[in-house]
Amino acid sequence: MYRQKYIFLLPGLLVLIAVILFPLLFTIRVSFSSWDVYNPGLNNAGGAMYARMWEDARYWEALWRLSLLSVSTVLIQYVLGFALALLVWREIAARRFFRVLFLVPMMTTPVVMSVIWRTIFHESLGPLNPILNAIGIGAQPWLSQPGFAFAAVMIVEIWQWTPFMFLLLLAGLLSLPSEPYLAAKVDGAGPIRTFLSVTFPMMGAISVGAILIRAIEASKIMETVYVLTSGGPGTSTETVSYYIYIRGMRDFQIGYSAALSLTYLIIMAVALTLIAKALMRLMVRGANA
Amino acid sequence: MAEIRLETLAHRYSPGGTYALKPLDMIWRSGGTYALLGPSGCGKSTMLNIISGLIRPSEGRVLFDGQDVTAFDTGRRRIAQVFQVPVIYRSMTVGQNLGFPLVCQGVPAAHRRKRVEAIAERLGLTGALNRPANALTADQKQLVSLGRGLVRDDVAAILLDEPLTVIDPQQKFELRRILKEINAEFGVTMVLVTHDQTEAMTFAEEVIVMNTGEVVQAGSPRDLFERPLTRHVGSFIGAPAMNFLPATAQGGAAVVPGTGLSMPLPEGAGSALSLGFRPEHARLATADAILSGTVTRLWFEGLDEIIAIRHPAGEIRLRAPAGTGLVPGDTAGIALDPGRLRLYLDDRLMA
Repeated sequence: MYRQKYIFLLPGLLVLIAVILFPLLFTIRVSFSSWDVYNPGLNNAGGAMYARMWEDARYWEALWRLSLLSVSTVLIQYVLGFALALLVWREIAARRFFRVLFLVPMMTTPVVMSVIWRTIFHESLGPLNPILNAIGIGAQPWLSQPGFAFAAVMIVEIWQWTPFMFLLLLAGLLSLPSEPYLAAKVDGAGPIRTFLSVTFPMMGAISVGAILIRAIEASKIMETVYVLTSGGPGTSTETVSYYIYIRGMRDFQIGYSAALSLTYLIIMAVALTLIAKALMRLMVRGANA
Repeated sequence: MAEIRLETLAHRYSPGGTYALKPLDMIWRSGGTYALLGPSGCGKSTMLNIISGLIRPSEGRVLFDGQDVTAFDTGRRRIAQVFQVPVIYRSMTVGQNLGFPLVCQGVPAAHRRKRVEAIAERLGLTGALNRPANALTADQKQLVSLGRGLVRDDVAAILLDEPLTVIDPQQKFELRRILKEINAEFGVTMVLVTHDQTEAMTFAEEVIVMNTGEVVQAGSPRDLFERPLTRHVGSFIGAPAMNFLPATAQGGAAVVPGTGLSMPLPEGAGSALSLGFRPEHARLATADAILSGTVTRLWFEGLDEIIAIRHPAGEIRLRAPAGTGLVPGDTAGIALDPGRLRLYLDDRLMA
C-alpha cells in the first residue's frame, strides 16, 4: 500500500547520498591509494598509508595534544561559564548586560580574533608583556616557548567559548523550577548544600549537552592554532586537524591525509561516544532510573 | 507541635501597593488541623509562605508558642512544607531524601538512620529506602516531601500547599487518610492550603475561607455550611451552591415576591436584601409548598438528584432523593423549614 511514498523521499535521499555518503566513500577509497604530488591519481597502495600512519609519531603526538587541549579547555570553560551564570542568575539587569556582552567573542570570526590575540601576545610589540612588567610578573615568551604557546592557545579558546557555556547554562538555570529551592530552604540547607543537592543535579542534563557540543567543536580546533602559532614553536601546538591540513594541503599527500582523516574521524567518534556515556552516568543520575 | 499565632499580620509585595494579605489576627492551637480555602490569588499561599518564612511579612508578627519568629529564617522555624508539585532531591535515594533536613542540622549519622527508618516505616516507604527517589510515583514523592518534615524531632507545624492537586483521585483519598493519621499520632499542627472545598471540609477542624486577600469566615465545616457569613462563602462552599433570592422589605419582613419565603427584618435594614437556603434543606412538596416553578434541569448524583427549578424570582436548586420521576418541563413545588432560611443584607449575613 502507498508504495509511491518512497518516490517522494527519493530527492532527499539522493541529496543525502551526494552530500554525505559520496565524499565519505571517496575518502575511504583515496586512503587506500598513494596519491601525492608526484603520483597524482587513484592507484592501489593497499594499507601502505595506514602502516605509515602507525609509525608517524608526529600524528599521535598531535592527537594526544589535542585531547589534552580540548579536555582542559572545555572543563575550564564549563567551570567558568557555570560560575558566571550562577553569579548573574538572580540579577535581571546583570543578566541582560552579560548576555549581550558575551555574544561578542562568539560572533567574532575565529581567524580575526586569533590575529588580535596574536598581536596581544606579541613578545616585543604586544600590550600584554608591558602590562605584566608593570604589575611585576615580568614579560613571558608567549609564542616562542612550547609551554607558553600551548597556554596561549588555551587562553584564546577559553576566552572565545566560555560565553557559549555561560549562555547555555544560564538558560538552563532560568528554566529550573522554584519549588526545590523553597524545599531546600525549609529543610535548612545552606547555599553550598543547595548548589550540590539541588542546582547541580538538576543541571546535569544540560551540562552534559553543553560539554558535548563544546567537546565536538574543540576536537576540530584548527584556525586558532593556524593563526596564533602555526603549530609552533616546532610542533608544540600542532593539533590533529592542523597536521592533516599540513600533510594534505601543504605537502599535497592526498592519500596519506585521507588515511589520517579517517582514523581521526573514527577515534573521535568512539572517544566522544564514550565521553558522552560516561558524562551521562556521572551527571544525570536518577534520570534513567 | 506549636501554637501558631498571627498578630495584625499583613503583606504587600511592594511598599504602598495593594494588600496581597489584609491585616488579620489568628490563633491556631497546637495539634489542630486548619484549612485555608479560597480561589486562586486570594492570598492563601502568601499566608502560608509567611508562616513558613519564605516571605517576610510587611506588617505584623508570627509567633510559634509565644516566640516571635518573624525574623527567623525558614530553616530555623522547624516547619515542614509540602508543595503542590512533589519536590524530591532527584540525585538522592529515598533514604537520603528523608534524612536531608537532619544532615543540614548536623545530626549524627546513627540517630539520623534511626529517625529515617522510623518515618519510612510509618509512611510505608521502608521497601523503597535505597531506591532513587526520582523513580517513585507522584503520591509516593509527596509522602517523601512530607517525611522530610516529619523526620525532625522538633517539627513545629506541617504546611501543605495544595499537596493533593497532582495526585490521582484514588491516591488522594489514601494520602489524606495518612495525613489525618499522622496528625492524630504526632499531634503536629497542620495547615492545608486548597481551593477544593471537599478537601478542606473533610481534612480540617477549622476552615478559613479567604477572598481577595482577607479572611471572610473562619469556623468549623458545619458552621460554614449552616451559617455562611457572606453570600460568597455560601456559593463557594457546598455543591451545588447555596440558593439566594432577592427580597424586598414589606412591613417589617423581608419577602421574596411571589413566594412564601419571608423573614422578620431587624430595625433599620434597608436595600439589597436577599434570602438564602441550602439545596440540601429544601424538599419537594405539593401541599405546603412555599414556592413552585418549572423544572429546567436534573443531575444524577447516585442516591440523590439535583433539581433546578425556575421561578420568576430566580433559579433554585435542591437536592432530593433519587427517583422523583420529574422531567424538565414539569411543575414542582418546594418546602423549607423556616429555621434554615438566612437573611443577607448587602451580601452579609443578618440573621
